[in-house]
Amino acid sequence: MLVLGSRSTRTMLKEITRLVSMVQKAKHGEQHEGQHYRVPLQDVKTVFPHGLPPRFVKQVKTFGEACLMVRKPALELLHYLKNTNFAHPAVRYLLYGEKGTGKTLSLCHVIHFCAKQDWLIVHIPDAHLWVKNCPDLLQSTYNRQRFDQPLEASTWLKNFKTTNERFLSQIKVQEKYLWNKRESIEKGSPLGEVVEQGIARVKNATDAVGIVLKELRRQSSLGLFHLLVAVDGVNALWGRTTLRKEEKSPVAPEELALIHNLRKMMKNDWHGGAIVSTLSQTGSLFKPRNAYLPQELLGKEGFDALDPFVPILVSNYNPKEFESCIQYYLENSWLQHEKAHTEAGKKELLFLSSANPGQLERLCAYL
Amino acid sequence: MAARAAKVARGWSASVLGVRPAACWLPGLTQVRWSRYGPEYRDPRVEKEHYRKPAAELTEEERYDRELRKTQLIKAAPATTTGSVFEDPVISKFTNMMMKGGNKVLARSLMTQTLEAVKRKQFEKYQAASAEEQATIERNPYVIFHQALKNCEPVIGLVPILRGGHFYQVPVPLAERRRRFLAMKWMITECREKKQRRTLMPEKLSHELLEAFRNQGPVIRRKQEMHKMAEANRALAHYRWW
Repeated sequence: MLVLGSRSTRTMLKEITRLVSMVQKAKHGEQHEGQHYRVPLQDVKTVFPHGLPPRFVKQVKTFGEACLMVRKPALELLHYLKNTNFAHPAVRYLLYGEKGTGKTLSLCHVIHFCAKQDWLIVHIPDAHLWVKNCPDLLQSTYNRQRFDQPLEASTWLKNFKTTNERFLSQIKVQEKYLWNKRESIEKGSPLGEVVEQGIARVKNATDAVGIVLKELRRQSSLGLFHLLVAVDGVNALWGRTTLRKEEKSPVAPEELALIHNLRKMMKNDWHGGAIVSTLSQTGSLFKPRNAYLPQELLGKEGFDALDPFVPILVSNYNPKEFESCIQYYLENSWLQHEKAHTEAGKKELLFLSSANPGQLERLCAYL
Repeated sequence: MAARAAKVARGWSASVLGVRPAACWLPGLTQVRWSRYGPEYRDPRVEKEHYRKPAAELTEEERYDRELRKTQLIKAAPATTTGSVFEDPVISKFTNMMMKGGNKVLARSLMTQTLEAVKRKQFEKYQAASAEEQATIERNPYVIFHQALKNCEPVIGLVPILRGGHFYQVPVPLAERRRRFLAMKWMITECREKKQRRTLMPEKLSHELLEAFRNQGPVIRRKQEMHKMAEANRALAHYRWW
């Protein structure tokens, strides 16, 4: 373990709780459970332009560093991913758990690992954002029955470009696509052009997303690259939407082109990669607050579509992880209240948060 | 507590309302702020350490006190007192003053967001500062809160006194609790009234607290104006008879 030079008395604590590993991402093992590792800020900008939860982004800004805790669910997933057989169809992993237990951050850990291993990452930060609060729905030119979402699609394309710059010039499109009477994409041109077209022409952005997903699915089976599909809030794909057509009738998720293409992505008929997803009640529509199991949140349709999958439960902190989290906050002097340093204070924090990572973070924010 | 509760008002006579007369009873006067507890009720003690002491460690007085309390009547503890180590009476009082319509949940969440905002702002400054300045920057939101309110407390206040048909503003020394109340009241009024459209309360309040901590800002100016008016009216000081 690296000893951080001149930080006097707190170096000992840092050795216990921190594992500063910039390169040895592949070497996270059982013995590192409960310890934090630092993600370089440059990686945060490229790999996570849109993936991190908002409170975590604030924490990164305040501390000046991004530290993720190594936990069992993430370690399990990493183990599975290291041993994937790329000739078999893509395996679907589903992270589920109560609110605030760390599903999204475990997903981010996995994404960072795969980015370091040079996989191509298709990361949808929150599928719920695509099924609600969308003021501009255009009727799709490709298929009359479906609807386009230009804004969401173009923002996603921009972030996709930031994450996967180097692949965009290598992957070639294998079919000719017509945007309109005058513009088209020839066979053999790089995928970067499709993305540029989607960003520049917002009207064609949804179709560009569809093309990108189709091409990636087709070509990952050829073995040029490994594809990781990471979707947060996958229960949005099979739930209900709050969007309405002009006649005030509700829009079903299948009628949205983005959701339709994403559903095709989640089917395991392609190989050469893996699909990791998270359930989320926080952004979900028309679901009770205490629902967290896959059956409850996905519904019959979603469960059948995702079946078979590997479910991974993300639970609250165990005592070692809790202690490690508190130590991390104390090192960064985040817990400023005098009583928070005492044993009584720590016991009280444990009681108030019941070892839930999200609640603990919110409590420590004002102490 | 009992002495303060006997603030009287003219109007309904005591016997009509069936009020039990407490410390002072004057004919024709009713108490405004009073409690249903009689004078024999004692205040409750909520500290955990007090009750966890094993019997061997108690002194004679404490033993006597404990025995006495077994027979005495004790008031019920208010719902807001906790045995929490993080409890702060000043913060609780401020939260109660910010509360509107009994919505304590909202008031408390605003308070916690304010403390968080203060902390984050100070951390940003700390990161951008050099090593010598870092020693001077205070990052504890509670210390900043207490210091800011202490800086806002006026030393002397003005009271309208009726003499010869006119009300004169007479400078008067203020009690400790009146000063604390005025500081908190001015802070809350300032944040409610004088803010830009669509700024949220935590944002504005954290900004005002940080300014008051540095002895700048509108609340400090209001305190200084109060002091100046008291200084200007010091000729009227002999109108005070207490």
